Amino acid sequence: MLISVVSNTTIRNANKPAARRILINASAATFLFAIVLSSTLVSAQTASDSDKEMIRTLLRRVEQLETRVAQLEADRQRAPLLVSASAPAPVPDPAPVLEARQDPPKQEPPIQEPPSPMEQRMDTKTLMQIRGFGDTTFHGSDQKGTHTSFSLGQLNLFVTSDISEKFRLLSEIVFEADPTNTFGVDVERLLLQYSHNDYFNLAVGRYHTAIGFYNTAYHHSAWLQTAVGRPFLFQFEDNGGILPIHNVGVSASGLIPSGRLGLHYVAEVGNGRASSSPSAEAVQNVVDENNGKAVNLALFARPDAVRGLQLGFSFYHDGLQPIGQPHIGEEIFAAHAVMQRPNFEWLNEGMIIRHAPQGQSHVFDTPGFYTQISKAFGIYRPYFRYQYVNEADDEPVFPQVGLQYGPSVGVRMDASESVALKLQYDHTAFRHQPSVNGLSLQFAFTF
Amino acid sequence: MQRIGIVLILITVTVLSAGFLAIRPTSLTAHAAGGADDALAIIVNQSNPVDNCSFEELRKIFLGEKSHWPNGRRITILMLDPQQPERKLVLRDIYGMNEKDLNNHFIQGVFTGSVLASPKTLASAAEVRKFVFNVPGAIGYVRNTELDSSVKALRIDGRLPDDKEYLLRLQTRPKP
Repeated sequence: MLISVVSNTTIRNANKPAARRILINASAATFLFAIVLSSTLVSAQTASDSDKEMIRTLLRRVEQLETRVAQLEADRQRAPLLVSASAPAPVPDPAPVLEARQDPPKQEPPIQEPPSPMEQRMDTKTLMQIRGFGDTTFHGSDQKGTHTSFSLGQLNLFVTSDISEKFRLLSEIVFEADPTNTFGVDVERLLLQYSHNDYFNLAVGRYHTAIGFYNTAYHHSAWLQTAVGRPFLFQFEDNGGILPIHNVGVSASGLIPSGRLGLHYVAEVGNGRASSSPSAEAVQNVVDENNGKAVNLALFARPDAVRGLQLGFSFYHDGLQPIGQPHIGEEIFAAHAVMQRPNFEWLNEGMIIRHAPQGQSHVFDTPGFYTQISKAFGIYRPYFRYQYVNEADDEPVFPQVGLQYGPSVGVRMDASESVALKLQYDHTAFRHQPSVNGLSLQFAFTF
Repeated sequence: MQRIGIVLILITVTVLSAGFLAIRPTSLTAHAAGGADDALAIIVNQSNPVDNCSFEELRKIFLGEKSHWPNGRRITILMLDPQQPERKLVLRDIYGMNEKDLNNHFIQGVFTGSVLASPKTLASAAEVRKFVFNVPGAIGYVRNTELDSSVKALRIDGRLPDDKEYLLRLQTRPKP
């Protein structure tokens, strides 16, 4: 009796299958022992009333143990199904597709060990991944007042984390020194992404505006770029750029059902750029200076017929409010035709930035374009870029840009899978200044 | 002397012929069986609603350009370790890239956000099968001879690995 009580309690507390099996065997032994004991008691025929009572008690106990053993057996058979409830159910029968095969039957499927909870988590999700990018450049030019310098580029920590199957975090944290040699930290991208399916993805946070191609293809990585730097048109805001490269808001993107045409869309709504003062931080991270929101719509195609080809255009609209000036409507029309293959690239982008001050008939159009071509020969990739941007001298928003144009020629050498050396010569002509010739040697890497 | 020469020639011819005959049936057998044995099966979870996909769709899936199955499940791409012949075949026939280009493609894709995740690398066909068995959105590849019913082989352009016209084969296809 005492043994049975102890066994029953222990069985209830047992969790491990092996321990459970041992306890089942122990229960069975108890059961047999009880039968033998009861048989002995019955065959004696000298049992007193108290003995008869004991027999009845033991028989009840035997029944209870039988019930318990049956319950544990059922639990053990059900256990694999419970474990795989969140994972695919093992299908012992061949699928219809496999049944259709004329092969002799394959070997029996191996018994799949159910993964542990940690295994399941690691299989489908990755907690956090960090990739780094960095670069250092030695450069000089014949521009008066400049010196040859070693310049630390951007140290970029690209962090992603799969929060769940549908949600993901993406961020780009950049450490960068400014012309005063002081380091600063910028969160260049911080996005919570929701990925519903191939046709609808939503991201909220700080992103790179999908104007044209270059801005969303290379972000803050010199290693990914073929050339040393970004084209004039796509310079960052804090480096004299004229485009709203970054924005804070919400972005939707995805495929458009279009068969082999491979159409994609991007729709963005954000704060837009600051315009009240030239000294203001260009990206409105926390506070928007007006209630109007910047809107950007982009459409591009990646046709199946020509692998690596991308054709697209975008339209951006915002309202700017410089202090002491009338409201200025800003519109940016951009188009691109890009061919990108592992050994060959040809990037072509053109755009018009239109600033229309309210109450004036004069509209300021700033055209710009660049073309870049490169081909890899082993570890060497010679490249050529020609770029042009022409802003009017009385342009109300960016009067300092003016006219800039000229070629860049260079060669990139991939010293390893993660390290690239680039040597580039630039010739840049200006409207009211002498031309500048520059030479740069850049070490760009990823880690 | 002449006899010895003739005998040597006969022995040489006999040995070469025997060798040829011994090798030939084997190679013919291998070739005949190679139709199914050298095929690379693309495998998915049994619960995956997709049974057939075009080669172009398969390429998009492995490139990460297509990131969800029709049932909304996220696609997890599985690759075998570098230097394995199955991986080389996938690089050559599906990706059209070498290891370096593949690496760059996924670094850039994940960086730009156009690709949700890089492929997971596993060491053996058994691990690939186990992963696919356990993760509903996974897709991987194993030799046809390593296929079992714990996973489902996808038809590629309507063809299973046993079909003669099946595209993914480890042996170099004879030129027409």
